[in-house]
Amino acid sequence: MSESDDRPTGSAQGAVSRRGFLGGAGGLAASGLAVGGIAGAAGGFAAGYGTPAPAAASAAEVAHPFYGSGHQAGIRTEPQRYTVFMSYDLTTSVARDVEVLLARWSAAIAQLAKGLTVGSVEPHRPDAVGVDSGEALDLGPEGLTVTIGFGPGLFDERYGLAARRPRHLAELPAMPSDQLQPALTGGDLSLQACADDPQVAYHAIRTLTRMAKGTATTRWTVTGFGRASAGPTQQTPRNLMGFKDGTRNIVDDADYERWVWAGSDDQPWMTGGSYLVARKIHIATETWDTDRISDQNAVVGRTKVEGAPLTGSREHDVPDFEARDASGQPVIPATSHVALAAHENNGGVKILRRGYNYTEGIDALGQIDAGLLFLAYMRDPQQFITLQTKLGRVDRLNEYIAHIGSAVFAVPPAARQGSYIGAELFRS
Amino acid sequence: MTPVHRPRRLAAVGAGTLITALLLAGCASTAGSPGGASTASGSAALAEVVGGASQVRVTLDSSGAGDVCTMSSSRAKAGPVTFTVENRSATGITELELMSDQRILGEKENLVPGLAAVSFTVTLTGRSYQLYCPGASTELQTFTVTGTSTGGGNESVQEELATGTAGYAAYVTQEVDNMAAGVAALRRAIDAGDLTAAQRAYAQARPYYERIETDVDGFVLSGFDATDNAGNLDYLIDMRASNLDPAVGWHGFHAIERDLFGRAAITASTRALAAELVTNVGRLDSLSKTLSYKPEDLANGASDLLEEVQSSKITGEEEAYSHIDLVDFAGNLEGAQQAFAYLKPGLTLIDPALASSVQEEFSTVTELLARHRDASALGGYARYTAALREQAAPGLSRAVEALHERLATIAEKVATA
Repeated sequence: MSESDDRPTGSAQGAVSRRGFLGGAGGLAASGLAVGGIAGAAGGFAAGYGTPAPAAASAAEVAHPFYGSGHQAGIRTEPQRYTVFMSYDLTTSVARDVEVLLARWSAAIAQLAKGLTVGSVEPHRPDAVGVDSGEALDLGPEGLTVTIGFGPGLFDERYGLAARRPRHLAELPAMPSDQLQPALTGGDLSLQACADDPQVAYHAIRTLTRMAKGTATTRWTVTGFGRASAGPTQQTPRNLMGFKDGTRNIVDDADYERWVWAGSDDQPWMTGGSYLVARKIHIATETWDTDRISDQNAVVGRTKVEGAPLTGSREHDVPDFEARDASGQPVIPATSHVALAAHENNGGVKILRRGYNYTEGIDALGQIDAGLLFLAYMRDPQQFITLQTKLGRVDRLNEYIAHIGSAVFAVPPAARQGSYIGAELFRS
Repeated sequence: MTPVHRPRRLAAVGAGTLITALLLAGCASTAGSPGGASTASGSAALAEVVGGASQVRVTLDSSGAGDVCTMSSSRAKAGPVTFTVENRSATGITELELMSDQRILGEKENLVPGLAAVSFTVTLTGRSYQLYCPGASTELQTFTVTGTSTGGGNESVQEELATGTAGYAAYVTQEVDNMAAGVAALRRAIDAGDLTAAQRAYAQARPYYERIETDVDGFVLSGFDATDNAGNLDYLIDMRASNLDPAVGWHGFHAIERDLFGRAAITASTRALAAELVTNVGRLDSLSKTLSYKPEDLANGASDLLEEVQSSKITGEEEAYSHIDLVDFAGNLEGAQQAFAYLKPGLTLIDPALASSVQEEFSTVTELLARHRDASALGGYARYTAALREQAAPGLSRAVEALHERLATIAEKVATA
C-alpha cells in the first residue's frame, strides 16, 4: 500500500473509513448492506445481521486496504492497540499446497480487512459447515491488518524455492543472554494480526489458522494486549516496565528506505518487502517493581514519567552520550539500554519497532507472567543481530528481561489486486 | 462419549423438506436477485463446443456491486459441458457448484485471485441447472441445457451414492453382529472368573462399538422419554464415569472396565453388568438392522467419529482404567474410513480433488497411529499412558484436525434432498 502507507504523517495512514471505502466502491450504499452482503451466503438467516451504520465514521470503521503496489499493511501502519501473532510450521511436502494457502490467506485477509466474513457463518444447507466462525460479526474492520511473513524453512529443500530465498533470510545466530525455548522459536510462516479490537485480531488468526489445516500447523503464538511502540502521530506508549517505548522510532521516508525496506541487492520479488524479527521477551515484573527509581532510570537511561534522556528534560530531547557528571562518569550510563541501543553508538543502525505488551497469567511460581512481544522490521536482520549481540552482552536490562522466543521472517511486498502475497515465488 | 438424545434417523427424514425451504429463503434474500435462480449472467447463445464438450467460462470479479460470478454462456446443448473457472479479483467467492434440484453435480474450491483457472466437466441432459456461487452478489444463476443426452452424469452420481449407502448399512449390521459375539465372549470370561481372559475379551469387544457408535448414538428404547438415560442405549452401553447420570447409575462397558482394570476384581456386580451389556447389545443388534442411511448420514457419521477421537480418545478420557484409548481411536478411525470408502465413488464424481485429499489425510492419520501398534499390548496398540499421551497427542491431534476439517465438508456435497 505504498501510495497511502508511504505518507509519513496523517492519522490512520493508508486507511479509509469503511463508509468511505463503500462510498468509493459505488453500489453498496450503507455498510449495513455490506454486512448483509457477506452474510448473503448465510441466506435467509442473515437478514438480521445488517445493522444501520452510525452517522459518523468511528474508529471501528477504519479499514486498511490489503491490496496495493508497495508494502504490506501492518508495518508502517500506525500501530493498532492489539495483536495476535502466530508462527506456523509447514507440514505439507507439496509446493502447490503452500501456493494455495498463501492465495487463500490473501483473499481472506482482504475480506477481513474490510470487516467482512470469510465465507458463510450460517450456511443454508443443513449439512454444510460454516466457514466463518462468526465472532467478528457486527464489529467492523477495526483497522485490522494481517501481515504475512516467510521463515527460512519455506526455502529449504522441500518446495524447490531455494533459488528464490531472500538474500538476508537465515536463522538468527545464538546471541548472548539468549534463553530461547524451542517451543517458542522459529516457524516457516508467520501472521501478525493487529486491530483496535482484540476480538477482530483473534478472529483473523483463528480463521486463517483453520484455513491452514493440512498444510501448516501452529508453532508459537503471543497475544498482545497493548501497543508498545508509537506511530508518528501517536503518544509514545509504555511497556510493562512502565517506561515509554519507541520514543526514537523510525518515522521519516529516508530512514524507511535506508533501514526498513528491502534493498536493491535483494531478490527482485522482495522489492517493497522487509524482514521481521520477532522476540518474545519475558519481563521479571515482580523484581523490576521493587527496584529503586534511580536504578530503574539508570538501567533504561531515561526518566520514567517524562521519558527524557538523563541528559535532558523532555522526551524528545536528543540524548548526549558524552555528558559527564561531577565525578566524570557518563550521565547516561554506558551500560544503560538507551546508550547501548542508540543509533549514534551503532554506526547509525536503526530498526522499526512495532511491539506489543503481553501477559499470560501466572507462571509456575505464581508470579505474573508478562513481557514484550518485540516485533521489529528492518532491511536486513543483521541490524538486529548487531544491536542484540551488544545488548545481550552488557545491557543492565538483562537482569530483568529474558529473550525466551525468537523467529525471523522475510516479509514480502503487498499483493496487487487479483494476485496474492508471494505469487512471484511460484511463477516460473 | 456424551449422551445424545437425538433420534438420528428422524432428524434425517425431516431435513429433506427443510433444505428446500431454506434454499428458497436463501435465494430470496440474496442481494440483487429477488427472483432467485431466474437470472443468468451469460450470453443466451449456446456455448461453443470444442473437442466434443460445450465450453463455458466462468469469471469471478470484484465490482462496485460486490463480487460477481459471470458465465460466458448460460445455455448449452445436452452432453459434456466443461466449466472453466477463473477468479480475477473476487475475494468473497472461493467456491462454485453446479447443481440440479439441490444436488451438487460438480464443483471447484480454492477459487482465489491469483491462482490459475481450473475446470470441471459434467455430462448434462436437457433441463435447468443452477450455478451456485456462494458469496456472490447473485448467488444462484440458471444454466439451461437443451436436448437429451445419454448417460447423464447426475444419475451415475446418485447410483454410486445409493450403492454406497446400502453397502454401509450392511457393514454396520456386520459390526453390531460381531459386537454381540464379542460381549458374549466377555460375559463368558467374567462368569468363569478369569480376570486375564476378561480383560482380553474387553479389549477385543470395544472396537466394534467404536466403529459404529455415531450411527446408534441416538437410540432410545421404546416407552422411554428422550431425556431419560435409563432408556438410552448409548448411555447404557458406553457411558464413562465423567458423564454419569446419578439417577440411572453406571452401566455398560466402562463400568465393567472399572472392575476389570481399576479394581482388578470380578464380583457379582461385574457379572450382572456383563449380563446386562449382552442384553442391551442384543437390543442394539435388532434395532440396527432397521436402519437405512442417506449419503449425508455416512459423511456426518464419519465426521462425528473423528470428533469422538478428538474429544475423548486423544485426551485419554475414554479408557480411564484400561488405557486402551488407542484401540478405540483405531476403531473410530476405521469406522470413519469405512463410511468414507462407501461414499468415495459418488464423491469422486462430484469433487475428485476433495475425495483424494480426504483419502490422503486418512493415510496420514493411519500411518501416525500405526507407529503405536504393539502386538504384545492389549488390543494391539500401546497402552496410552500419560507419558505416551504427552509425546503423541499433539501430532495425532493435528493430523485428526486436518482430516476432520476436510471430511466435515463432504456431507453437504453428497446430501440428497
